[in-house]
Amino acid sequence: MNHRLLRWGDTLIGALAAGVVVAAFVFAYSPSGEARVLIISQAGATPQHEPLDRARVLEIHGPAGITHIEIEPGRARCADSPGRQNICEASGWLQAHGEVAVSLPNRLTLQVLGTEPGFDSLHY
Amino acid sequence: MTGAPQAGTDTRDRAIAALAAIAIGIQILEAAIPSPVPGIKPGLANIVTLITLLVLGWRAAVAVTLIRVVGSSLLLGTLLSPAFWLSLAGALASLVLLAALRPFAPRHVGPVGLAIAAAMAHITGQFLLAWAIIIPHPNLPLVLPPLLLAALITGGLTGILTAHVLADPRIQRHVHNPTPND
Repeated sequence: MNHRLLRWGDTLIGALAAGVVVAAFVFAYSPSGEARVLIISQAGATPQHEPLDRARVLEIHGPAGITHIEIEPGRARCADSPGRQNICEASGWLQAHGEVAVSLPNRLTLQVLGTEPGFDSLHY
Repeated sequence: MTGAPQAGTDTRDRAIAALAAIAIGIQILEAAIPSPVPGIKPGLANIVTLITLLVLGWRAAVAVTLIRVVGSSLLLGTLLSPAFWLSLAGALASLVLLAALRPFAPRHVGPVGLAIAAAMAHITGQFLLAWAIIIPHPNLPLVLPPLLLAALITGGLTGILTAHVLADPRIQRHVHNPTPND
């Protein structure tokens, strides 16, 4: 019986496995695609879908005041939102698939996606 | 019981039972070790699966692994829970890949390669089950790269441990005739 620790098959499998790991990291964490739709989710309301086509400004009313959302072709941002720390505005322009801005005082999340999501919410 | 017991199958059955018992013991002891990341374990019970594969063949390895999965989940109180199905999915996936690699062992592929391949298949099978049924969230694949990396590392470690166990003269004494039974 061969008592060496590693044979050529071991090295091949190890190299393949390392390649799979590297490829997985590259694919999962590479920059996402463009954004096409804005999902506005407010607590207690159904999510609103806004296509990112024409430039416009939306006003969303919430418990703390009005959040202004500025939409331009391909991107959106939280232009003005009640809240002393301006966390929502600090997210800046949302233009890659998956980027999110949150306004806690207004119980509001803004997310841009590249495609329409297959579902509105997930419970488990 | 009538008839003379067939010495070959009796010895083999006892060997499978003993190996399954060892595997259950290892799995339960490992369950007592807290894991920094949920879902990642060293997978030391796979050492027993690999040894069974290399000494008794693939069918014996299937028996030992399935007995270990069901037996340890019975003792841990997780039978038929999501954790059980994840464990079973991982075990079945790694057994399938080991069946494909079995003809190449031990000449071209040793315990280290088998262990790495089995670990990668294990985590992939578990992830697919989790993604298909338990958490069908589109962002779940983002956790896959760290899990694959952990599988690569733990697979390498268990493979090295398996090689050391097999090389031990006390184990070699038990291995009279490593027949490829299937």
